Amino acid sequence: MPRSLFGRLLAVATLATLAALLLASVAIGHVLERFVMRGFDDRLDAQTMVLARAVDLRGQLDRSRAIDLPGFDESASGWVWQVRSPDGHLWRNGAEAPPAPVASPPPPASISPDPDRARPHPGEGRDRSGERQHFRTLTLMRAGGPVTITASGPRRVVEAPLREAMLPLLGALALLGTALAAATLVQLRIGLRPLRTLQAALGEVIAGRQRHVPTDLPVELAPLAGELNTLIDQNAAGLAHARRHVANLAHGLKTPLAGLGLELAERDPDGRLAAMLADIDRRVSHHLRRARAALPGAPGRVAIPLAPAVDDLVGVLRRVHADRPITVDVAVAGITVGVDAQDLDEMIGNLLDNGWRYAAAAIRVTAAVEAGKVVIAIDDDGPGLDEAQRAEALVPGRRLDEAGPGHGFGLPITQELAELNGGGLLLGVSPTLGGLRATLTLPL
Amino acid sequence: MRVLLVEDDETLAAGIARALRAENFAVDIAGNGEDGGHLGSTERYDAAVLDLGLPLRDGLSVLRDWRAGGRDLPVLILTARDGWSEKVAGFKAGADDYLVKPFRVEEVIMRLRALVRRAAGHAGALVACGPLVFDAQLGTFELDGLPVKLTALEWRVLSTLMLRREVVVERADLIERVYEGDADVDSNSVEVIIGRLRRKIGATLIETVRGRGYRLTASV
Repeated sequence: MPRSLFGRLLAVATLATLAALLLASVAIGHVLERFVMRGFDDRLDAQTMVLARAVDLRGQLDRSRAIDLPGFDESASGWVWQVRSPDGHLWRNGAEAPPAPVASPPPPASISPDPDRARPHPGEGRDRSGERQHFRTLTLMRAGGPVTITASGPRRVVEAPLREAMLPLLGALALLGTALAAATLVQLRIGLRPLRTLQAALGEVIAGRQRHVPTDLPVELAPLAGELNTLIDQNAAGLAHARRHVANLAHGLKTPLAGLGLELAERDPDGRLAAMLADIDRRVSHHLRRARAALPGAPGRVAIPLAPAVDDLVGVLRRVHADRPITVDVAVAGITVGVDAQDLDEMIGNLLDNGWRYAAAAIRVTAAVEAGKVVIAIDDDGPGLDEAQRAEALVPGRRLDEAGPGHGFGLPITQELAELNGGGLLLGVSPTLGGLRATLTLPL
Repeated sequence: MRVLLVEDDETLAAGIARALRAENFAVDIAGNGEDGGHLGSTERYDAAVLDLGLPLRDGLSVLRDWRAGGRDLPVLILTARDGWSEKVAGFKAGADDYLVKPFRVEEVIMRLRALVRRAAGHAGALVACGPLVFDAQLGTFELDGLPVKLTALEWRVLSTLMLRREVVVERADLIERVYEGDADVDSNSVEVIIGRLRRKIGATLIETVRGRGYRLTASV
């Protein structure tokens, strides 16, 4: 069986059509042959009847009454008759003997003396030149014994009209077969199109351009689309549930940590315990953030417009750093990003926050689509990082809880999130503002 | 300066309250969202410190209700939720600042002071009224360049008047911003505090507006 549905349906349809056409041609051929043969037999039987009536009671042929019907009256025409009397005497219409039977005809069930009631029997044979002959044999009962009357004609007289009738018939059948094949192809294309539509829609969902697959499909596929949507919703609900759980976990872990921090502040003069607490907090934060990140390819990701997300985050940062007035120039209009909204907030938020901490007076956010990816650049006019510091800030695979505090606490987690989402983070020198340029590459 | 602290963890709430009171703040504590929401809607506060994960009612919905009801007191959100999306949601609900647990209590105090100062319309940390200068960020007063020593109640009254200098502060308003919710307020106590303050910073700076309240002014 072919692995493709299209192939299977096509194979079944082709086989069925071929079988039907074959059967039709055989059946029609058979009917046609019987039709033509009946005329042929009538002609032979007419001659045997004439001869039967010319046989007297003793079984002798009255040659004057044995008229040659058309065909039999020409010599070497292939039309031959013969009468054999009970005493072995033979009469013929010419020199030629009738063909020897290829297969001996079955013995007559009853031999009647009355030519009107006797039934001739068919037979096949070849004449001396090897041409196929068809003959009819009639046996009459006479006083001396059975008289055998045989009339024979060349088979080609039926084969020529048969061929003439069959040729256009086969042509018509071939034409019909071609038309059926074309119809099958069209039918399969139309019939299987909803499957292709569903596949394309699912691709859109995976790419994050749609939230659900359409359900206005044929009745056979609509339940499948419904199930797919349920699965997508369940996945999204699972993610939301996991995030709520992480939020509760964060609350449950961090509130006691905060309480502990307050207690320590009052009885930890050298700050050693506070440093340990900060370390615990960093590890907890890292794993909570990591747990909150959406899995790559998780459904429920819809292409999100970049501009509102950046605007919201700039609004937050203006308040968080209310005493550091920074000019933020945002040029990201019309660009969408195919990552989870929370992940996007995390990445852009961390980079903007980092910029805000180090910028002297200005931050610039630009975005462009390059080679099927969104490239977001966040520039600042701060001191920037030299090459060694940049390498130190972003060690691939290094986790936040292993990195010490220092430049851009949020850079490693941003890198991790970008890589999880199929993108990346690069650090460089800002060509426009002179400070750090963080280049975030994300899927479209 | 009177602050509403809405935090369900008792240890943490007590620790923050202790630190705030040591810095002269008056502090009311609510242990759940219902109580916190009610206090914030009915009482007068200079600022609120609001936890998000609260029993009975979520902090964000409490904050939205305050804003919908026209309550514009500055709100500092204190939360374990440290994602940027949550910060965006917090600010959209009407928060003025955001601190993630665990935090240093000094950070809470600095941010609260900045919020109260900015809410009163002062962009810079220093607020001056004649010879009296208030460092709203450090919480210190100087008169002619010399530090002024104040009790907690005196500090609350003077800082309230200072942040609203040249404006009459209603007596009832002053009382609400100086005493904690469960304090017994003597009807004469504000007059007593004003009297003590006049002895420390000079009699002319604080003007009594009969029948209304008090005004800190350098114009007399």
